[in-house]
Amino acid sequence: MKKRGLKLHKAVDAVLTYCILIAVCAIFLFPILWLVLASFSKTGSIYSFKGFFPSAYSFDSFRKLFTDTEMYNYPRWFGNTLVVSLGSSLLGTALTILTAYCMSRFRFKSRKAIMKATLVLGMFPSFMTMTAVYLLMTQFNLINQHFGLILIYSAGAPMGYLTQKGFFDTISYSIDEAARIDGASNAQVFVRITLPLALPMIVYTLLSSFVWPWSDFILPKLLLKNKELYTVAVGLMSLDNTEFSRFAAGAVFIAVPIVVFYFALSKFLISGMSAGAVKQ
Amino acid sequence: MRKNIAALVSHVALLLALILTIGIIGSIAAANSGKEGANKFTGELERGAVLRILENDTAIKQGYLGELIDAFNAEYASYGIRAVDANMDQYTNLEEDGPFGYGPDVLYQANDRIMRYPDGRHILPLPAETLSGYDQVSEKAWQAYTKTVGGENYVFGVPVNAQGPLLYYRKDLLPANWQTEWDDDGNGVPDMIEYWTDMYRYSKQVKAESGGKKFGYMRSFLEPYFSVGYLYSYGGYTFGNNNTDVSDIGHSAGNAELGGKIIRQLASVMDERCIDDSVTTGAYAAIASGEFFATITTPDVYTMFIDEMIAAGMTRAEAEENLVTVTIPKLPASGDLEDESAGFIDNKMMGGVQGYAISSYTKYPNAALKFVEFATSFEMIKRRNELLGIVPARGDVAEQVGGLSEIINGNLENGNIVVMPSVKESAQVWTPLQTLFQDLAKDAFRTADIKYDTTEKIKAALVEADKQIYDSIFTLKG
Amino acid sequence: MQKTSKSGFFARMKANCLETFAGFKQVVTQAKGRVSASMLIMGLGQLLYKQWIKGALYLLAQIGFILYFVFRGAQDFIGFFTLGVRESNAWYGIEGDNSVIMMLMGILSIIAILFYVALYIANVKDAYNIQCAVDAGKKPATFKKELGSLLNRNFYKTALLLPIIGVCVFNILPIVFMIIIAFTNYGGDIVPPALVDWVGFANFGKILSLGQFASTFFRIFAWNVLWAVTATAINYFAGLGLALLLNKKCVKGKVFWRLFPILAYAVPGFITLIAFKYMFSYGGPINQMITGAGGTAIGFLDVDAKWMARGIGLFVNAWLCVPSSMLLATGVLSNLNVDLYEAARIDGANAFRQFTAITLPYVLFATMPVLISQFIANFNNFGIFYFLRGGLYMNGYFLASDTDLLINWLYNMSIDNNYYSIGAAISIIIFIITSIISLTVYVMSPSYKQEETYQ
Repeated sequence: MKKRGLKLHKAVDAVLTYCILIAVCAIFLFPILWLVLASFSKTGSIYSFKGFFPSAYSFDSFRKLFTDTEMYNYPRWFGNTLVVSLGSSLLGTALTILTAYCMSRFRFKSRKAIMKATLVLGMFPSFMTMTAVYLLMTQFNLINQHFGLILIYSAGAPMGYLTQKGFFDTISYSIDEAARIDGASNAQVFVRITLPLALPMIVYTLLSSFVWPWSDFILPKLLLKNKELYTVAVGLMSLDNTEFSRFAAGAVFIAVPIVVFYFALSKFLISGMSAGAVKQ
Repeated sequence: MRKNIAALVSHVALLLALILTIGIIGSIAAANSGKEGANKFTGELERGAVLRILENDTAIKQGYLGELIDAFNAEYASYGIRAVDANMDQYTNLEEDGPFGYGPDVLYQANDRIMRYPDGRHILPLPAETLSGYDQVSEKAWQAYTKTVGGENYVFGVPVNAQGPLLYYRKDLLPANWQTEWDDDGNGVPDMIEYWTDMYRYSKQVKAESGGKKFGYMRSFLEPYFSVGYLYSYGGYTFGNNNTDVSDIGHSAGNAELGGKIIRQLASVMDERCIDDSVTTGAYAAIASGEFFATITTPDVYTMFIDEMIAAGMTRAEAEENLVTVTIPKLPASGDLEDESAGFIDNKMMGGVQGYAISSYTKYPNAALKFVEFATSFEMIKRRNELLGIVPARGDVAEQVGGLSEIINGNLENGNIVVMPSVKESAQVWTPLQTLFQDLAKDAFRTADIKYDTTEKIKAALVEADKQIYDSIFTLKG
Repeated sequence: MQKTSKSGFFARMKANCLETFAGFKQVVTQAKGRVSASMLIMGLGQLLYKQWIKGALYLLAQIGFILYFVFRGAQDFIGFFTLGVRESNAWYGIEGDNSVIMMLMGILSIIAILFYVALYIANVKDAYNIQCAVDAGKKPATFKKELGSLLNRNFYKTALLLPIIGVCVFNILPIVFMIIIAFTNYGGDIVPPALVDWVGFANFGKILSLGQFASTFFRIFAWNVLWAVTATAINYFAGLGLALLLNKKCVKGKVFWRLFPILAYAVPGFITLIAFKYMFSYGGPINQMITGAGGTAIGFLDVDAKWMARGIGLFVNAWLCVPSSMLLATGVLSNLNVDLYEAARIDGANAFRQFTAITLPYVLFATMPVLISQFIANFNNFGIFYFLRGGLYMNGYFLASDTDLLINWLYNMSIDNNYYSIGAAISIIIFIITSIISLTVYVMSPSYKQEETYQ
């Protein structure tokens, strides 16, 4: 009797769980699905849709996205975005990992002060500093250059070192000690031992510092004046608002690499995040 | 020990002395350096000049800029001057990019944008009278580009086209019996496109008959550009003294509250979509499908309607036959769309003048001036009109193409089109007005706590909006 | 507790100062000839001790700094105080001073001076250390050995050099610049080429003396705090809940289910926000369904929709942030010891009790710093209401609407209306408030206090 009750309880629980899951997923899917549908819409304006659905479908917006490049050169924007994102991701990850490692492994005088300062600095309303960044870049002659963007993104990346530091905190000291007894220097320990162990964390950092420039709109808008140099986000925002289906197609298409990355790296992602979070 | 202190102190003192002397001498030298300026327009064309031309997206998309540049380059090839597409955002802010050399040489923008630049001397004052087309452009259009800087009057831009709203309607959707039922004055023009009172009555009828599925007139009130005209018609204005005195804000002046009442009444024959911008880009398709009978927008989007109508199954000839553009209907003098007794007044509308200006940071001012002159020549303006459907500011072109161009230019001349203020502060007018118009339109759909059922209440709202604009301009100033 | 830590802080400061002063006194009184030479000219003492490379490097650094000052730094430094004397006039090609650039480059020159001071002190200390070593009859460390220590004991100095320079130039410099702007009259009509001036605390005085400011500030601040707390709580618990749900044994195909939130993460935020604005507009699908079913359209985001718009803001924000919060919680939960639950079950604790007694404290402890940074991100969340409900100024608010957060208000003031200096002054006030709150929480949180014990 009791066993049957338990079984029933379990079944009810499972049904409930699935119901909630389906509801949640529907909420997440709804706008995305609409975006995908919009990208297949025949007409440009969103306000001519019949409710949720476009009034007529076609592949035109995708075709136009890649072939009609005179005004809106999407393939080129895509390449630009790739360059900026990859560059900032690599450079930013290197700086972040170095910072996190030092903050985790070394004890020096200004360490706690730096930790508090980075926390506080993140609180400054950041768009207010955009003017300064723009003026600075004009002085360094880095307007209209992708390198300028890469520099800013990756220079700011170490500010978010906390998660990575948490990860290094979990790697036991004893491994370092053993290597050091064998005569390895701290730099060697870092390169030969810590880095390979931190692979999940590195992957996680690479991905998260890739996503930010990938979808940022404010900074490239500020620093790139030439349409040829636009990133996808800026380019999409420059589209005429009667071109919504093309906008949607462009938006759907830039989401693809990130979803692919997620599937390829989901194992690293989860373990990277978990380890980092536990020991921040 | 004394020796150490002496060493320390002398190091610091030496460095300080070095910084201070060099710094101060350098600053003084910089302050007194620099040649005295001379007028840049010498008339001598700079050889090897490459002019970056900023045009609007439509001109690029329709191929006009390409034609213009090709024609100019062919004409001036022997002088070694070349024009190229600046390839920048059409709304580029010269104030931000120009001083650092990232701006265009020649820019085409609307007068409210261009006229933000003279204060910082970001664009050059032009020797307008020397241009060949000077006499062809009306006084009113030149006024939009005239400004006093440092006590003197200058012209900063060359008008290319006049922009003013028009009424678009579907001729084939007129009631079959309009000649008997909707033409009281018997002039062969349907009353609803002549008088707002009849448009209101007709819209009410269409909405009721279709069960709220179809509409007569429909237009979002969100954009002040299209809505502020109702206030102007009854005595309101944006800035005093012909839009130049920013300390005098007058959206509540005269009987402007009647304009507010018109907005509220018109909203009631539309649906809630007139409150936000839902029907702004949707209007093309809605006119094409017959959901709306009429709307108001600018002349340059004519092709959008035609494209949508073709997509909806008409031939091009049919579409062009059925879509008619006319001037804005007349308003009732009573300020009540249900009361024609007091006669009618003209509906004033906000408009703009788009034109060319030359960046102060260009290395080739004379070549740039040549380009502007070329681009505003009879042939180029005419071509622009053919390709883009704009209303030429040049009288000779307008006369030749006739029709709407003449009407709009006439409206500009007689003050029915009020040109957007050409002052920097105009940027601070939009948001308070936008809020106000949303609120007025929304009031037509409020069921409980209606805010504007009397004209006094509307007046109070207008006064409040004016105060808000005044505050945003002056509270923090100096 | 607060008091002791405070007095502890001051005591530490005092001790630090005393120690520094004692060290300084020791060097000044005991340094001999060759160290004095280093005090006069950097690197000279090291050269006299036959430390050729190091001495040459110090000397080169000094020459480099002097050159920088001769050609650029000195003028930048003076320019910082004058903010320009000659107005430029682009009409006639007269290049004058750009006050804003002068401010920026002036800060850079001050940073350079600070760097120089640090280098100078290091130089004297180094010379003194050599002297001590020689006096004690030891051989001073060779250059090669010192270089080696930069990869070993002092590896952190090498490794942190680049990140610190980067952060200083691209994060700290702009922030210092913004702070400094609050003390100038930059904005309104006074933008380059007009010359900017220092005005001291006048902007703060203006803020305090204008009644409209205070009332708008407190209204927006109250809503901003409410927003930040609610939004953070919703995102956090929704993420945690979702992670717990997906962790259930009965759920099959976890990767598949997790894909949906990931999709939300993959589409750039501003695009989603535009989509949501459309969804909730009068012509959007939700209202079309309502009117299609015979209802009247609802103004989700219009002028009257104060609380509804706020609610929608919370919902949209959750939609954007829950996915990453869920990933984080999933990660944390995977490290949780399962035995604890077994024990609890034996003790007869129900699911809810297990959650409050085991899961929550553990997860809270593990994610405290993340929680604080999420709170800050929500506090300064510019995009949500900018995209969903921008372009409204309500009655009773000065240049803001009833859904605007402080950061939106700042934007309206400094970008839309050009009042940079006032905007900067307000951002300093906001910054002080938020940083006090979050620093206190951070320092008191177990994750900060017990950092060492878990090593």
